[in-house]
Amino acid sequence: MFQIISDGGCDFSKDEAKKHSVEVVPFYISFDDVTHLKEGVDVSKEDFFKRLMADKGLFPKTSQPSPQDYIDVYTPHLDAGKDILTLTISSKLSGSHASAVMAADMLKEEYPDRTIILIDSLNVSIGQGLILGEIIKMRDAGYSIQKTTKLAKKILTATRVYCTLNSLEYLRRGGRIGPTTAVVGGILGLRPILQLEDGEVSQLDSVRGKKNAMKLIAKALVAVLKDKTEQISLSIGHILSEEDAIAFKSEAETALSMKIESPITEVGVTIGSHAGPGALAFAYCGRYEVFERGEKA
Amino acid sequence: MNEWYIVAQVLGVITIGFEFMSYQIKDKAKYFLTTGIGSFFWTLMFVAIGLAMGMNTQLSLIIAATYSTVRNLVFYRTFSKNTAESREMGLIFLLIMIVVAIVAAIVVLPSVPVEVRWLHILGLLAALSFVIGQYLPGVHYVRVTVVIYAVVIMLTQTPLNILYGDFRWNIMGILIESAKIISVIVFYIRFASNSEESQLQLAKPF
Repeated sequence: MFQIISDGGCDFSKDEAKKHSVEVVPFYISFDDVTHLKEGVDVSKEDFFKRLMADKGLFPKTSQPSPQDYIDVYTPHLDAGKDILTLTISSKLSGSHASAVMAADMLKEEYPDRTIILIDSLNVSIGQGLILGEIIKMRDAGYSIQKTTKLAKKILTATRVYCTLNSLEYLRRGGRIGPTTAVVGGILGLRPILQLEDGEVSQLDSVRGKKNAMKLIAKALVAVLKDKTEQISLSIGHILSEEDAIAFKSEAETALSMKIESPITEVGVTIGSHAGPGALAFAYCGRYEVFERGEKA
Repeated sequence: MNEWYIVAQVLGVITIGFEFMSYQIKDKAKYFLTTGIGSFFWTLMFVAIGLAMGMNTQLSLIIAATYSTVRNLVFYRTFSKNTAESREMGLIFLLIMIVVAIVAAIVVLPSVPVEVRWLHILGLLAALSFVIGQYLPGVHYVRVTVVIYAVVIMLTQTPLNILYGDFRWNIMGILIESAKIISVIVFYIRFASNSEESQLQLAKPF
């Protein structure tokens, strides 16, 4: 059995990671460009977002794990004779994948008999988490690292992540929208809906009002997934907005007549510093069995 | 009949085609491109009428239609690029247009006869609401505001021209504005008959 490692972009909780024997290499957060804190280790997600809300002038920076961070996590597993499959956040959003590549290159000579495979998820947060979930299922079903990699690369092309925001403020702070757009959008009560497309974040649409946004999203989910509920996994995430996430999960389950297996996830800092508190995210991906059947066919 | 007048009718028919098509399109960028092309042919139509009747009679309409073409193409670029910068520029462009329209109205309105001044104000409000409606998210605002705009234009400008009791029966003008209204009606019939169709377009996983 191989070891699964992911960077913190997957937004797995400590309990989830432990339950599924996944090692998570955390991202760094800096509020002052001097001190770099490990997400989930030195600072919790909740503390991070509360600090973000309290200080309107604050725009914390996130930075990727270093190659040494990956080496530190890889080495004990390689010593134990395990192969490693690493899933990273989209390489278009972070240098985490590059750090993992450097670490793997450095360890190749030392562990020539071991396999280290790196997959760029081209996703983030709960999208990356869904892919990771499928990888876990394949590993637990006894699939080889090579077969898991092959199917995982197909799954990531069928993974979609969307996020609707409570405020334009954090996009403005991060320079993702201009000041005029933030002011006018705020006056009109617009909630942008962001999507991850080809590994990059872009704006899909805007909707007026939270209720309207949730209603439209539920309807849109039905439009694209109604015939595919047996073939997909769905996940819901939030930032300090658990009640909305629970309500949305219930709405989505009713609309799609399916049970959403993934637990509601607290979205982490990688996407959260741009989205801000009150954001609601949802993602779906094709289950590995669908792609396996496609291969056999 | 002057041959330029016939050319103008042909250009008007092309405009109707594009205007009708544009209100069947949900995607903002494609909508602006289609209606922008429509506006371009609309401009050419006024140029052709100008060539037939004298350019000075059509100058204000040519300017208005050119303005409309440019606006639609700027918004097309805004939504097709879909970047923070393009959206910011599009919004600033929209705000500048609103300010220009209001300033122009303040300058022009005092010279308009009192009895028809309210119609001019109505026209301005209809035009402003349509331009803002075009930019707002979703499919509904633009369609509701274009119907109001088209009705007001029919009554005050193009065909009926009730402003001064001068009933110039411009068939092409009526058809162009009617095409917009009919297209919106057709859109909503299609929309209602396909209740599962979503306003928000998410990507299929496979």
